[in-house]
Amino acid sequence: MTTAATECMLRMYEDQHKLEDYQSGVPRWCSGCGDNAVLTAVQRLCRDEKLRPEKTVFVSGIGCSSRFPHYMKTYGFHGIHGRALPIAEGVKMARPDLDVFVNTGDGDCCSIGAAHWIHAIRYNMNITVFLHDNQIYGLTKMQASPTSPRGTKSNTTPRGSHLDALKPLTVTLGVQNVSFVAQAVDWIPEVLFDIVKAAYHHKGLSFVRIVQRCPEWLPHQFEPWMQDPQKIQLLHHDQGLRISPAMAKIYKNQLQHDPSNIDRAREIASYDDPLPVGILYRNPEVPCYEDLHNTGQLRTNEYIQAGLEAQFDKFTIEGSKKSRSRPAESPAP
Amino acid sequence: MEADLQQHVAFYLTGKTPGTSLDAVDGLKLRPVLFAGYRDLTRLRYDFPLVLLDGPDAAFVQSLSGLIDGILTQVAGGDDGERVTKHVLRLEQEIRALVAAGESGALSVLWVKAADRLAGTDKLFKDSLGRARAALKTDGEVIDCGAALPVRFLTHAWSRIQQQKARKFQEHIGQLALKLSNILKADFVRSEAGQQAKSLKAAVGGTYDDAFDFEVMSRLLGKGTPKNALPESRRRRIEWAISALESQRFFPLQNGAKKRGEAGKAHSFVFENCIEVLAAIRKRQPEMIELAKAVAIAEFEIDNKYVEARHDSFFREFNENSLDARDLAQFPDYLVCLNADNIQAAENDRLMEILSTGMSVKILVQSDDILAEQPHLALGKRSKQLANMAMGLNDVYVLQASGSHLFQFRDRILKGLSYPGSALFSVFSGASSPDADITPYLVAAAAMDSRAFPAYTFDPSAGPNWASRFYLEANSQVDLDWPVQSVAYEDEAHQRVSEKLAFTLIDFVACDRRYAKHLARVPKAKWNGTMIPVGEFLAREPMSIPDKVPCLLMVDADNVLQKVIIDDKLIREANRCRETWHSLQELGGIHNSHAERLLARERKTWEEHEQQREAKAGPAAAAPVAVPAATAAPAATAATPQPAAAEPEPPSDEAYIETPRCTSCDECTHINSKMFAYDANKQAYIASREAGTYAQLVEAAESCQVSIIHPGKPWNANEPGIDELIKRAAVFA
Repeated sequence: MTTAATECMLRMYEDQHKLEDYQSGVPRWCSGCGDNAVLTAVQRLCRDEKLRPEKTVFVSGIGCSSRFPHYMKTYGFHGIHGRALPIAEGVKMARPDLDVFVNTGDGDCCSIGAAHWIHAIRYNMNITVFLHDNQIYGLTKMQASPTSPRGTKSNTTPRGSHLDALKPLTVTLGVQNVSFVAQAVDWIPEVLFDIVKAAYHHKGLSFVRIVQRCPEWLPHQFEPWMQDPQKIQLLHHDQGLRISPAMAKIYKNQLQHDPSNIDRAREIASYDDPLPVGILYRNPEVPCYEDLHNTGQLRTNEYIQAGLEAQFDKFTIEGSKKSRSRPAESPAP
Repeated sequence: MEADLQQHVAFYLTGKTPGTSLDAVDGLKLRPVLFAGYRDLTRLRYDFPLVLLDGPDAAFVQSLSGLIDGILTQVAGGDDGERVTKHVLRLEQEIRALVAAGESGALSVLWVKAADRLAGTDKLFKDSLGRARAALKTDGEVIDCGAALPVRFLTHAWSRIQQQKARKFQEHIGQLALKLSNILKADFVRSEAGQQAKSLKAAVGGTYDDAFDFEVMSRLLGKGTPKNALPESRRRRIEWAISALESQRFFPLQNGAKKRGEAGKAHSFVFENCIEVLAAIRKRQPEMIELAKAVAIAEFEIDNKYVEARHDSFFREFNENSLDARDLAQFPDYLVCLNADNIQAAENDRLMEILSTGMSVKILVQSDDILAEQPHLALGKRSKQLANMAMGLNDVYVLQASGSHLFQFRDRILKGLSYPGSALFSVFSGASSPDADITPYLVAAAAMDSRAFPAYTFDPSAGPNWASRFYLEANSQVDLDWPVQSVAYEDEAHQRVSEKLAFTLIDFVACDRRYAKHLARVPKAKWNGTMIPVGEFLAREPMSIPDKVPCLLMVDADNVLQKVIIDDKLIREANRCRETWHSLQELGGIHNSHAERLLARERKTWEEHEQQREAKAGPAAAAPVAVPAATAAPAATAATPQPAAAEPEPPSDEAYIETPRCTSCDECTHINSKMFAYDANKQAYIASREAGTYAQLVEAAESCQVSIIHPGKPWNANEPGIDELIKRAAVFA
């Protein structure tokens, strides 16, 4: 809620940013890495949406993709392995006015962070999550991840992995309160950008799986999909993505899919070949946890102090009350 | 002409009965036949009485029967459900009877009173009521349809809207004040005073008093903290904004806020006349502007966006023009409750001034007596005129309804009260009947059904045109002149007779004793075929000397059917009333004359066109289906999109990159950052072919993950290994 005067003045003197204003340092990713494409798409989003750097936060866990916050000239939090989502939720809870993004990898999210992933979907806080899925642990030099296809030879699976790959989209779509699920590939930048933009505009947790190349450890993994446009199935709908004429010319394998249809979304999510690209599911009606949790109570210092005292009092040992003294109130400024 | 008909026509034309066999109806306690079943409303379950519910979260009003139904679904599901239902419905009837007898108060109080009157020693009865009472989770004032209803109903709904508004506003300004205070607090903590040993000691508390040397801490902090205190102008601005936010008087203080003196009490927004409300608005305007300014400044300061060079001058000139409708809508609305009978000329002027300037004032104009003769039947002329004029202003929310219909209009009333601008509620209470036998509810309902006081709303926020703004459908059988109802009675031979009768203005007026002189009862022996129902009479073409007379079916106190003939004066009033109703129908898109005229014109054109076509085609014309088929073919051809002109492809001997497909992976820029560069979207293009060699171009094409670099033909034939390079480049052509 802002007054018309504030809005008018803010618009009058709106900050104009260039892409470079969101760039920080030279990415240390390998050349050819798909992370670069995601970084560019996100920086374009920040520029086009005029996101204020001081009001934007990127949170990550551990892995190649989790170096993402270092390359954004915004606030960032390079967290610990698998814990990007709870950190981001904490940031959003304390500062609902910030735009919060999460960059996590297939190991970070789907292995060590799997529990947090499930509950983050259920909490449906208003954050945008990018799962950079290159199907391999790259930073630690090639170990199989949960999304590595069966037979992937790696340092931990020299004879090829034995298990079928976990499908991040079907898992996400199976969790209660899911509100936005999309899939992009890093080698179609236009569609990647459109999906990143739609995810940002969705109110609730937007989960975007970005299938991306790892030219160092799995250089040929996605070659068939890159070389044959028929193996990419673009999802389009009035309520989803609209395909530009240029894209339609290259990618002729298209499927009209209503993103409000979760059953169909689950079915599409299970396909690998052709690989569906677009918005699988969107439901803006799912409530956000931070809204449900907001009581409207003004959190003054006195209120917070009273709450803390009430909690501490639960642990007071009888007889020691007299010796316990409360800190004096801070003097007024 | 027969003698009886002559007498009837004479009465019809003159309204006089001397020397005839007609009886005066005054004192006969007649009522329209359609009211025969509604003598004791307390025995019927209907919308009234209403319960104006307490509490911020529940609906603001519910009918007593609705509440009881809700309770019964909770407690009457078991084996003894039938017994519980019977007992609770008996209680409901008793409460209804109490309210009809003039009792008032909270539902909880009336419940106890009614239960005491009924319970006696019956344990089962007590058990039923006990269970029902436990399921009743809400309370509120019980009110019947009558003179007090419109004001109580509107005030209660208005309070609910204002409470919601206040909560939102208080939360916002509370947050602003808190955040502004935090800025000052943070500044204090970093200041010299804040870092003195005494302040530090106070901040840590007594428990660890001895564990710290606060003097040393003070020195250490003093050295390490940057010295960038708040500029004095900013501090003053923030302090002013906090003080303005905390001293506002438009909303009550939140719990926990410091108490203010009498002078600081929140303003009242309920008034009994427009003159006072206008004076209050004018007096409070500077205060309102200061508060809005403080809110705007606070928003800037909290966001650290206040730039003195830009904003100082803007806020110096901050005045009423700086506030738009959205800002004004955040402030409380004023409520004025007027009685149509007491509106004087000066008051009327102020009222129109309020409505025409779109101030956030909600006005209730209550009419109690719409049947006063002055000299024509006024039918709430003043309030209806106001409602019509307000609709003409185009941006005023207008609602007209009878008291009996307020509950049905509850959502529309809330909408009107939330409307960001003026709203006018014109309500007929039904409390005018000198005949106590007919309750205000029946009078109000009859006024609406007889088109004397039709219900409608005009909501300027609902859309851009009359079709979306004007709502008339709440009236029964809205497309007819008069609603038609079925009546069944028993004749002399004890046979059931059914008739369909129009409920007209005459039925409504016949309930009022003041109009008895316009009615005359015809003794049963004189009933004949020339007496036709009023509805039928009104539908006939008027004649100077009519061959039929209008007759109304009424019943006496014993529910015996009587026939009453009506004089011409009432018929004329009914015709006027019908004309007014027709105008409303047109506004509501029913029998709209413009639409009908257009339809007739189009139909005529179509018919002419068809005739011409048939004339041209002649008898040997092809089968009709052939025509559309033949015409469809060229249309389809025309609709087929022509192949789009091929996009100009770059010449194959020129190197190029499909830039929109670039994934920004740095492969090419690592090979030669002068030859390859990124554009504003960080996607690669060939910045300068001459900045590198053809070999680098081919290498970049080969290493590009998405194969979007096309090296074209070499520009230097002398480059070493050129033939091999051309071969390698051929796959990217």
